[in-house]
Amino acid sequence: MRAAAVLFATLYLLHALVAAGNTLLSGLHLWLFAGGLYVAYGALFLPLAAGLAAAVLAGFLCDAMSPLAFGTQAVLFAAAHVAVFNARERLQREETAVQVLVVLVLNAALFLVLSLLRLRLMHGVAGAGARLLSDLVWSEAILATVTPWFFALQAQTLVALRLQPARAA
Amino acid sequence: MRIGRSRRYDQARPFVVLGVALAIWLFLPLALKSFVRATFFEMTAPEAVAASHAADLRNFWALRLHSKDEMIAAGRELAHLNASYEIAVQENSALQREVEELQSLLKMPKDERYRFEHAQVAERDFSGWWQRMIIRKGRDYGIPVGAPVVYSGGVVGRVAEVHAFTSVVQLSSDPGLRIAAVVDGDARPISYQGAENPVFGAPKGVIEFVPLDVYASATQPKRLATSGLGGVFPPGLTIGRIDHVEPSADGLFKTGEVALDPRLSELTEVTVLVALAAR
Repeated sequence: MRAAAVLFATLYLLHALVAAGNTLLSGLHLWLFAGGLYVAYGALFLPLAAGLAAAVLAGFLCDAMSPLAFGTQAVLFAAAHVAVFNARERLQREETAVQVLVVLVLNAALFLVLSLLRLRLMHGVAGAGARLLSDLVWSEAILATVTPWFFALQAQTLVALRLQPARAA
Repeated sequence: MRIGRSRRYDQARPFVVLGVALAIWLFLPLALKSFVRATFFEMTAPEAVAASHAADLRNFWALRLHSKDEMIAAGRELAHLNASYEIAVQENSALQREVEELQSLLKMPKDERYRFEHAQVAERDFSGWWQRMIIRKGRDYGIPVGAPVVYSGGVVGRVAEVHAFTSVVQLSSDPGLRIAAVVDGDARPISYQGAENPVFGAPKGVIEFVPLDVYASATQPKRLATSGLGGVFPPGLTIGRIDHVEPSADGLFKTGEVALDPRLSELTEVTVLVALAAR
């Protein structure tokens, strides 16, 4: 469980960075969603229990700040984790391109589900859809850029604390 | 055969774990869920407050770079402003006394009075799904849930959650917020709701149940203010500018669009109106 705690610490850092970024971007009405990044590393490289625990805790962290029913994002993150965990043996998961692709697909899927959950409150589906689409495109572009760095940060933290063997570059 | 069964179990194990975790979560008592939520919020609060303090420090050092001449000029401008505000305060006090005398003569119920609690914005969360901000005052300053939040331009929103040292404000641009409103110069109540928040554009709201004889356009906009009905917002606070109305589908009322102040997205300081106990 130490691996889960350490991974959660890196996810807490990610949460702080995303929140600070969203505060700065609020004037432009741009919003960054990084759901896929909370789940991907644990699902691709950690044992089931440790990765799932970190994903659920990260979900609780996101839920605590949102008006959604508490546990919604935790459940979605857990489901996404299980789906990736089950498919990881069939993926070239050491490849950076594959890791980025997994994050982008997960992020888009989580964003879509959350959008569907909030749709009933939105006035003018066309206008709201344009805003959601721009948020998604922008988030995907940012995640494609930061995923290799964040994966390296998570991997190096786990290696430094001897919770994961160093992988060949 | 045994190997095949074991492999199938290995593949299903993650889904079994997920199902068990989900079942446990569903049957967990609500009080425990609320406790977990509050714990996780308080866990994230320091990150928002620390970032806000860092921004304060950055602004402080940026202000220190101004020359003495600039500071003297700013001080002079402030003195002029203070003088005009002092006159306005005196006028306001005289009017307030007059209102109270009239209320006591006519035996009218007294208006609700508020304490102004100024608070700095620690974090803004403006997604397409919701529009919220975290302010740096909570239970420690007696902020109640549902209190109206205002700024110099009018309504900001209402307090949605109160925590130990922070509170969450639901903005007037949030699609989940409804306010009873009136068109300037008209006493009939209409319904306002937060709506679209386009990228790079000003936030918008929508109004419903607008009487058919109300007209507004981009060239002749009308001010939308709070009605005082509903008991949350005091009357007369600006919500936005109505710049478009059209007959609704049923033909009984009109619906319209409200342009909100673009400053709403960049607020750094707001005021919470805390209702005082009836005197």
